[in-house]
Amino acid sequence: MAQVEIRNIHKGFKSGAVLSDISLTAETGEIVVVFGPSGAGKTVLLRLIAGVEEPDEGAIFLQGRDVADAPPEARGLGMAFQNFALFPHMSAYDNIASALTARERSPAIIKAKVDNVAKLLKISHVMQHAPRELSNGQKQRTALARALVADPRILLLDDPLRNVDAKLRYEMRLELPSLLKASGSTVLYVTQDYKEAMALGDKIAVLLEGGFVQIATPTEVYRAPATLGVARLFGDPTINVIPAEPSLRDGRSVFDLGGVSLSLPARYAAVAGKSCMLGIRPESIIVEEAPSAESFPVEVVAITPLNEKSVLLLRTYDGREILAAEAGVEQSSRRIGAACARLDADAVLVFDAASGRRIAPVQS
Amino acid sequence: MTAETIQAPRRRRKTKLLPYLLSLPALLVCVGILIPFVTAVYYSMLRFRLNLPAMKGFIWFDNYINFLSDSEFWNTVRVSLLYTGLTVGVELVFGLAIAMLLQKQTRFNNLASILLLLPLMTAPALAALMWKLMTNPNFGVLSYLVQLAGVSDFKWASAPSTALFTVVLVDVWVYTPFIMILLLAGLRSLPRQPFEAAALDGVPRRFVFFRITLPMLAPYMITATLFRLLDSIQQFDIIYSMTQGGPGNTLLVFQVRSYLEFYQYTNVAKSAALLVILWAITYALSNIFIKQWLKLRERARGSA
Amino acid sequence: MEHTSRLERIIRIVLVALILIFFLFPIFWIFLMSFQTNEDILRIPPSPFFTPTISNYQALITGKLVSAAGTLDIPFMRNLWNSVLLSSVSVVIALILGVPAAYAFARFKFRLGEDIAFTLLSFRFAPPLLVLLPLSLYFQEIGLTDTYAGLIWVYQLIALPLILWIVRGYFEDISPDIEYAYRIGGHSWWRTFTRIAVPLAGPGIAAAGLLAFIFCWNNFVFALILASADKQPVTVGSLAFVTASGIQYGQIAAAIVLSVTPTLAIALYAQRYLVEGLSLGAVKG
Repeated sequence: MAQVEIRNIHKGFKSGAVLSDISLTAETGEIVVVFGPSGAGKTVLLRLIAGVEEPDEGAIFLQGRDVADAPPEARGLGMAFQNFALFPHMSAYDNIASALTARERSPAIIKAKVDNVAKLLKISHVMQHAPRELSNGQKQRTALARALVADPRILLLDDPLRNVDAKLRYEMRLELPSLLKASGSTVLYVTQDYKEAMALGDKIAVLLEGGFVQIATPTEVYRAPATLGVARLFGDPTINVIPAEPSLRDGRSVFDLGGVSLSLPARYAAVAGKSCMLGIRPESIIVEEAPSAESFPVEVVAITPLNEKSVLLLRTYDGREILAAEAGVEQSSRRIGAACARLDADAVLVFDAASGRRIAPVQS
Repeated sequence: MTAETIQAPRRRRKTKLLPYLLSLPALLVCVGILIPFVTAVYYSMLRFRLNLPAMKGFIWFDNYINFLSDSEFWNTVRVSLLYTGLTVGVELVFGLAIAMLLQKQTRFNNLASILLLLPLMTAPALAALMWKLMTNPNFGVLSYLVQLAGVSDFKWASAPSTALFTVVLVDVWVYTPFIMILLLAGLRSLPRQPFEAAALDGVPRRFVFFRITLPMLAPYMITATLFRLLDSIQQFDIIYSMTQGGPGNTLLVFQVRSYLEFYQYTNVAKSAALLVILWAITYALSNIFIKQWLKLRERARGSA
Repeated sequence: MEHTSRLERIIRIVLVALILIFFLFPIFWIFLMSFQTNEDILRIPPSPFFTPTISNYQALITGKLVSAAGTLDIPFMRNLWNSVLLSSVSVVIALILGVPAAYAFARFKFRLGEDIAFTLLSFRFAPPLLVLLPLSLYFQEIGLTDTYAGLIWVYQLIALPLILWIVRGYFEDISPDIEYAYRIGGHSWWRTFTRIAVPLAGPGIAAAGLLAFIFCWNNFVFALILASADKQPVTVGSLAFVTASGIQYGQIAAAIVLSVTPTLAIALYAQRYLVEGLSLGAVKG
């Protein structure tokens, strides 16, 4: 039985439709990341599940039960809000305990549970502080502790790392997966950071303009994005997009890049003659000093370190600018100036130019 | 499955009813106001004197039509408008001047602005009594001071020539702080950059006042003025406590006159017609006021 | 530059001093008068130097005025008690009725709510007599004339719009997510209202309550029309007292002092919130 099942949800506000025909399921213990740019309707979706908004159409089932008539307090969820939503007039301890007092009578059990979750999240020392006396990181952990403390079967996390600084976000990204797995809850996690989505999700549901474009594992979303839009959202630097209309040569689709004809793998033979968009991840462009069989000449215009990578801005002879990425930031051998580049042709993604949908290769 | 085939979810009935349940008492109070209001409008179209119940009858708009040729009515209109214009005008100028004097946030200025609240918090009826004691011809300190200044025979509220001046003075004493406090809050919330830029450029003060301060303060001034206009045209407490509308008919503003019409002459219909006319004036004003006020309110909330 | 600003500072201080004298002198003078005997009051020229007496207050508190003409009963303490009773009960009822309604108007956007809110607001500015005079006839029919219940009911016209509009603003300032977080934690709507919304709007509710108290206390016309002597508050009672006591000016002054002290004390205590309240939330102090 799915812990969370959303069937054909529609939700609109005065300003227009926010979600249309949304369906999603999450199994027990699964972490489903709802990923999308801001304004895509992610938060609205969580609020519908939490019961603080009502859908215009469609149904929501939690643990197999239709919750259309259940107010938020009867849905047995835990939720962490993006803006933390701590109760300003209560101590951190009371904030966390508030998720227990309605259901648990014994003060001893409440205290044990709060202490436990505080220890887990390393905030035991600030339990008596009021929210305004907490740092942003402590606020975020308190909000998380409040969502976790009652061991809810379903946990809704609305971009919990959005309002914390980069260092803390990095730490939490490492800490959260084990924390969430240990809780055993089914988690719906909203974020607009693709790295967070990749790091945390068993499954990523990509929400664009009010509808799910793809629901798949992180690897699948990255390797086989459903649309060009999805491909653009995952990966930093973003994917290179090259419009092309490949022609057929020797049973292979061939396209032109930087004055050189490059061929796609045989399984893409069918795309010849179609108007396409080729998606080439920066890391599948290999830059070399010496020319080789399928390499094409480029000029290295700029080299920028990004996280653990070096990003190279390349200009082909026909003036197109593309990005390449390679591991390591201290590659002293890289110089601005002329070089050669070649593609890992297996990693090229092909999209239909008109619809933006990925064209799947035909396995022979 | 398409959207059309899915049935709309059942609504949570309780949630939908809750706001109505919560506002029920307020609704009842509303009804409690509206019933006498409609009754008053109805009375205004009757021939209805408490002492002559047999004469009661529906006469449509005769009461209103009669007003047109009734010099007493026009006297009431004139006195009301005069009173309103004088009080609001003086209070606005005076209040703006004080607000600008106290604009800088110093401890002395803050203390002064708090002390200035005191007249505003005094019941207007009691304020009128206080001034009545001070202007008593036998022992009033103000009567003495006026005499000392060489003005003899100044009878304050008891002489027709000075009665209006006296009640306006009391109104100014009570309500100037209201305008002052609103404009002070407005002045202190204005952005500083235009003023700093003007000071740097050496722009003359008068220019700064007319071209920067006044336009920026305008929303506050309009709201405060409308607020006061609405109250002042209905003034009753001060005038009734001080002179009961006298001497003669010098101070028979709308509400005082309809009060006397009702209780002294028991002419319910005429009293109601007067009040309906006053209501129409205030209703028009209050619609303008509410628009201005909502704008300001949104601004205050937005900056919170 | 230095020179003019110094001169200007002096002018400003002098002006503020003059303004303070104008606005505070009447209160100060009546306060002095309340400690004077009639002989002191009637002395020409008036003087702030005299031997203070508390006989005026004594007469008011005991309710007996002993004069050459005989003993006169003064019902002033009764008026004071009526003011306390009417104002405080009215405000408590208005808070009980108005705070949940203000919450409804702030949180649930619904047509009827706006209609009620604006009807109450527009009647806040309608002539009170328009409603009061027909109401006095109705009250006679249903036997509410000259009862505390009837007066308290009518006082809602003053207190309720004030509380609705001020408290509504404070509720609107609370992030709805804070309330949702509490409900998701398993608490009912009502508990969320009492444990989260009301405490967080607390300062606003207190300010609105105090301001409503002041306005109820200062009201004159409602009781003038609907109450007879034994139910009248100080505002109406003092006026009657002036006519009844004739020339006992010291006692009139003392009565005024006792009548205005509560509101002035509240105003000084709550001054921080008054600006916002007086403008019905349009301006933040």
